[in-house]
Amino acid sequence: MMVMMEVSTLTTIAFWAASAMTLGFAAIVVTQRDVFRAAIALAGSFLGVGILYFVLSAEFVGVVQILVYVGAISVLMAFAVMFIQDIASGSRPTQGRLVAGAVAVLIFAALAFTAYNTQWSSMDEITDPVAVAALTEGFVEVGIGDDIVIESPGFVDDEQVVIENGGAFTDSTASIGVLLVREYMLAFEIIGLLLVASLIGGLLLMRDPRTTDEPEKGSASV
Amino acid sequence: MTIENVLLISGALFAIGAYGVVSRRSLITVIMSLELMFNGVVIAAVAFSRFTPSAALLSGDPLTAEAIRSALTGHVFAIFVTAVAAGEAALAFALVFAMYRATESVEITDASEMKN
Repeated sequence: MMVMMEVSTLTTIAFWAASAMTLGFAAIVVTQRDVFRAAIALAGSFLGVGILYFVLSAEFVGVVQILVYVGAISVLMAFAVMFIQDIASGSRPTQGRLVAGAVAVLIFAALAFTAYNTQWSSMDEITDPVAVAALTEGFVEVGIGDDIVIESPGFVDDEQVVIENGGAFTDSTASIGVLLVREYMLAFEIIGLLLVASLIGGLLLMRDPRTTDEPEKGSASV
Repeated sequence: MTIENVLLISGALFAIGAYGVVSRRSLITVIMSLELMFNGVVIAAVAFSRFTPSAALLSGDPLTAEAIRSALTGHVFAIFVTAVAAGEAALAFALVFAMYRATESVEITDASEMKN
């Protein structure tokens, strides 16, 4: 019990630290005049969000966040900043700054009001003991053939519970993989198409309009 | 750490991003703020996945592996949103470059001449 308390306290500390990191860097992004500094702060904010995912026990999403956002999108931002020359003039605020601030505060107030005044259903409402075992951290999972055996030490006195048809929750990465190629197969394929489309669209837009499709006469280059 | 607290952080990040989108003049910063808003939404999705049970787990029917996996729907949603955001960022920067090449500026107030 003592250990549980400590883990819970640590989780709380990690959660608030990651939140402070995320929101602090995000505030720098939207107020910093120097665009390059804003890009660096953006990477910090993304990293904070990644830590937040780990705290929320979403390991796979956390890893994806760090790979895609911190690793790729931040670098893309930095490249964009370096490519565009007149960046020295910085990112000036628009005249609608006060209005923007008021609208942002209103959005936040509405979201916070909704978050605290809604009766969210809780995990405690799950009564099925097998589901509780599957969703509780710290249980042992053994797969035999197509069936999955869940052994939960602190649960129904060493009794083993068998779920038929295979698949379980503990290894969230494996389960996300199964979800992607079963229930969300179509969406998965469409997202691939979307990425290819944005890739081709990006190349097309980036192409220098001065270069023609036909090579100039006399030029040896192909 | 309760769902209310996580939703509060998610809402704060979304609001900060919304402020940045409206208040900044440089298109690059506007895109950065858009990414912040995406992140706020994804935090909410993961939070719901973590703290609220899916309908299949509450139905009382005999438990299947599929029902257990449905607890991860929020994670799958997060991955899809991340993929869309990545594609959007690449395309948005291509647009910014195209505009910079045409107008020598990346300021949103100069973007009214995109007709040709």
